[in-house]
Amino acid sequence: MRDVIIIGAGGGGPVVAKELAARGLDVLVLEAGPRHADPREQWTSFENDANNPLTGYFRLGPEDRSRPAWFREWPQNSFVWQLSGVGGTTQHFYGNYPRAYPGVFNDYDKPDRAEYDVNHRFPFSYGEMVPYFEWVEATAPVLTAAMGAKEQTFFRGCETLGLPVQTTKTTLGPSYRPQENAVLQPGGNAGRTTDRNLLTYPQATGCTHCGYCFQGCMRPIGAPRNQFAKRSTDNSYVPMALTADVWAPGGRPVELIADAYVTRVHAESRGGALTATGVTWRENASGAEHREQARVVVLAGGCTENPRLWFNSGLPNPNDWVGRGYTDHFFDWVVGAMDDYTGNPKGVGSAARLDFPPYGGLENVGLPPALNAFATTLSDSGIRGQYTNGRGPTGPWDGPAGRVIGPEFKELISGGLDRLLSVLVITDDDVEADNRVTLSALPADENGPIPKVSFRHRNRTARTNRNREFMARKAAELLRGAGAKKVYRIDWAPLILHVQSSMRMGESERNSVLDANAEARAVKRLFVADNSALANALGGPNPTLTTQALATRTAEKIFQRYFGGDPWVRTESPVVSTDPRISTRLGELGL
Amino acid sequence: MNPKPPLARRAFLARIGLLGAAVGAGGLLPRSALGPAPAAEGDPLSGLVGLLRPVLAELSRDTLNGLTVFVVPGTDRYSTAQGTPSDTPGGLAAEGTDFLMNALDNFVPFPDQVAKPIGAALATGLADTGIELPGLDLLPVQLGTLDKALRALLENDATLPLSLPIASTLNLLATQVNPLAVNGPFLSPFARLSYAEKARVFQLLEGQDSDLVALLDVHFPEPLRHSVSGLLKFVGGALIEFATFGAYTEYAVFDERTKQLTGRPVGWQLTGYQPNGPVEGWDDFIGYYQGRTEVHD
Repeated sequence: MRDVIIIGAGGGGPVVAKELAARGLDVLVLEAGPRHADPREQWTSFENDANNPLTGYFRLGPEDRSRPAWFREWPQNSFVWQLSGVGGTTQHFYGNYPRAYPGVFNDYDKPDRAEYDVNHRFPFSYGEMVPYFEWVEATAPVLTAAMGAKEQTFFRGCETLGLPVQTTKTTLGPSYRPQENAVLQPGGNAGRTTDRNLLTYPQATGCTHCGYCFQGCMRPIGAPRNQFAKRSTDNSYVPMALTADVWAPGGRPVELIADAYVTRVHAESRGGALTATGVTWRENASGAEHREQARVVVLAGGCTENPRLWFNSGLPNPNDWVGRGYTDHFFDWVVGAMDDYTGNPKGVGSAARLDFPPYGGLENVGLPPALNAFATTLSDSGIRGQYTNGRGPTGPWDGPAGRVIGPEFKELISGGLDRLLSVLVITDDDVEADNRVTLSALPADENGPIPKVSFRHRNRTARTNRNREFMARKAAELLRGAGAKKVYRIDWAPLILHVQSSMRMGESERNSVLDANAEARAVKRLFVADNSALANALGGPNPTLTTQALATRTAEKIFQRYFGGDPWVRTESPVVSTDPRISTRLGELGL
Repeated sequence: MNPKPPLARRAFLARIGLLGAAVGAGGLLPRSALGPAPAAEGDPLSGLVGLLRPVLAELSRDTLNGLTVFVVPGTDRYSTAQGTPSDTPGGLAAEGTDFLMNALDNFVPFPDQVAKPIGAALATGLADTGIELPGLDLLPVQLGTLDKALRALLENDATLPLSLPIASTLNLLATQVNPLAVNGPFLSPFARLSYAEKARVFQLLEGQDSDLVALLDVHFPEPLRHSVSGLLKFVGGALIEFATFGAYTEYAVFDERTKQLTGRPVGWQLTGYQPNGPVEGWDDFIGYYQGRTEVHD
C-alpha cells in the first residue's frame, strides 16, 4: 500500500511528488512515456529527430521509437501537440512562468471585472494563490529573462504602443516586459561565445542562448541535471523528488517508473462514498500488468489523457463535465519580415511578452526552420492568394490571413530566418462545454478506447473571438513599430497546446469536476494536479506556473486531509531546485 | 445489383491515376497483363495483384512528389511543370516525398481498420461524376480485369499503405479541377496540375462541406461515420503542414547511427540557419531590458 500514486510526470505530477516526498510520504510516480535520463546520449537538437510528432523523441508514444506513436482522434483541421515522457510538455516548453491575471479569481472587483470568463472563475482568491506562486517561483527558480536580439526588436515595437513596462510579478494592466521565466540567467561564458570549448560547466552556467528550447535543454555541457538552464520538470522537480532525502528533513525519495501506462483507476464504496483505492498499469515494453493500492491517487496525465482514463475506469460523471471545457488559448501567429537582423532562431525561445488583460497576450517566439515552416502553414484560412476557406480576415497586416506556402514562403525566408520576428497571439478563451474529450469510436489500442478531442473552432464565444482579433491587431501594430516591412497573419487552425481545464475545479458543482481542493467531487481520495485542473484559461498567461502553484496547494490539501499533517507554504522556506545537495546526490545515483 | 457501367469505371480508374500509371503512355504494366485471364490455377487475379502493388506505390510517390513541390518548389521538373521553377533546391531535394510516405505508411497513427475502408470506399464507391475525360483505348474486358485487381488488392491487403488512399484522393480532386490532367507527363494527375490548380484541390479537400467527404461517409456505419469525415478534414489540413515540416528538417541528411549530419539540410540552406552547423550556444546575450534582473510585487 502506497501513500500516494501519481499518474503522469509532466508539468504537474512531479510538483505533488516532490512536495509530498519532502513530507516523508511513500510516493510512486508512473509515467506513460520514456525517461530521458541521459539527454547527451538520447537527444540531438535536430527538429525531425526531436519534434516529429510521430517519431521524434518528443512525441506521444512509448519509449521504443520504432513502435508507432499513440493515436488520438482529432475530427477537425487541428493539431494536438501532446508529449509523453518524464517532463511532459515542459520538455519542449520555453520556460515561461507568468502569473495568471488576478481577474480570473473569484474575489476580483476592479471595473473590468465582467470582462473575464465570469462563469468559470477560480473558486478562491488571487491573494490565496500568491504564496503558492511565490513558492514555485523560488523553487524553479523563476527569474527575469535575459535579452537577445529578438527581444530587443520586440521591445522596440512595444515602445511604440504607448503602454507601460511591467515591473511587478502580478500583471495589473496592459503592459510589456521581459518574461519571468524558469531559465537560469547566463553566467560566465554563456551567451557570450559560440566556441563550444568555452561553453562547458562551470565556465559557463545557465542559458547559453543555443536556441534549442523546443528540442530539450541539456546545456551547458557537463552541468548536473538540476543545473540545466531550462527548468523543465525533468530538470527541476523530478530531480528534487528523486533526492528528497538529502534536502528535506525526514524526506523520502519517490519511486519513478517510466514507460508505464496506467489503464485503470480503481475505486470502491467506503462509508457510502466512492473512494479511489489504486491503479492498474501496463509496462509498454512487455505488456505486463501491475496493480498497486494507495491511500490517495493523483491524476496528472494531461487534459486529454485524464478524461480518457476516467472514462475507461468507469468512474461516475454525474454532471457530464469530465472532459469538457477544454481550452487552448486559441493561438494565432503574426509574422513580420524585417530588413534588420532579429536573431530569430537564437536565444531562449521566447523571452519577451506583452500582456493585455482581459484580452490575452503576445509573445515573441524564435523558431528553427521546420517549426517556423509548420507555424506559417497551419491555418484555417486556406492558402494566401489562392483561397480563404471562408475566412481570410483582413486588418493591419498585409493581405488576407492564411497559409504562407510554396514560392511565397520561400521568398519570405530567402533573407534568412534571422530577418523575421514572429509573434504568438495568446487569447483568453472562454471555457466552452462543447470543446471536449470523449472516447473515440475508432479502434481501441492496447491501453483501451482512445480519446477524441473535439473543437468547435469556428464557433467559439463572441468574447473569445473578440479577444483574438484584438490581440492579432496589437501584434501587427507591434511589428510595424519594430520596423516590419511586411506583416503576415496566419489565422492558425487550432494548434492545441497550453491545454487547460478539461477536469476543471470550480465554484459550482454544476460545471466542474473538482472542488476547491482539487479533489474529485464524485470520487474521494482522487485528486487532479495538472493543467486540466485549472478553472479557466487564466486570462491568457502560459499555464505552467499556475498549474504548479495549484499543485503545490493541492499537495498541502492532500497532506492535511488524508495524512493529518500541517501545511507548510506559509511557514517554511522553499529549497531552490539548483541546490548543490541535489546535484551531489544525482551524481551518486548516476543521474 | 446493377454492375457499374464500364465507362464510369474507366473514368474512375483514370481519375485516381491508376489507368494511366498502369497502361497509359509510359505505363508500368504490359498491356498483355490485362488480357483475358490466363488459364491460371487458383485465383486468376493473384498475379495481376502482385504486379499492381508496385504500380500503386509509384503512383503514390509521383502524386506526393506533386505535393512536395507544391509546398516547397525547387529546381526539379515537377516544380517547372506546376509553373514555379526555382533556382534554389526545394522539397524534392530535401527528400520530402520520402519523409511523407514514411510518415503516412508507417507512422501516421491512422488505424488500418480505417485506412482500408477509406481505400475501398474510394475504389468502389466513387464512380464517375459525369466529368468528360479523354479516354484510353482499353477494352471493357481489360478494364474489368484491372478494376477487379484493384478491388482485390484493397479488400485483401492486410495493411493498406495510407499514402495510397491519400494519393487517390488528391488525384480524384485533381481531375475534378482539371479533367485534362488524366493525361500528360508524370504518372499522377495531381502532379500534372499548375500551382493554382493544386491550391484548388486543397480548397476542395478542406471545404467543410466537401462532396468527397460526404460520399465517403456514406460507406461507414455510425458511430464511425463522422469520425471518418473528421479524419479526412484533419488529413486535409495536416498534409500541407507535414509536408512542409518534413521538407525543412534535417531528414535527408541525418545519420541515425552517428546522430550527425552528412550534409547541409536544404531547409538550412534556404533559411540561413546555423551557417556553421550545430552549436552549443550563441553570443546573443545583450543584457537586461532597462537593466532589471529581478522584479517583485
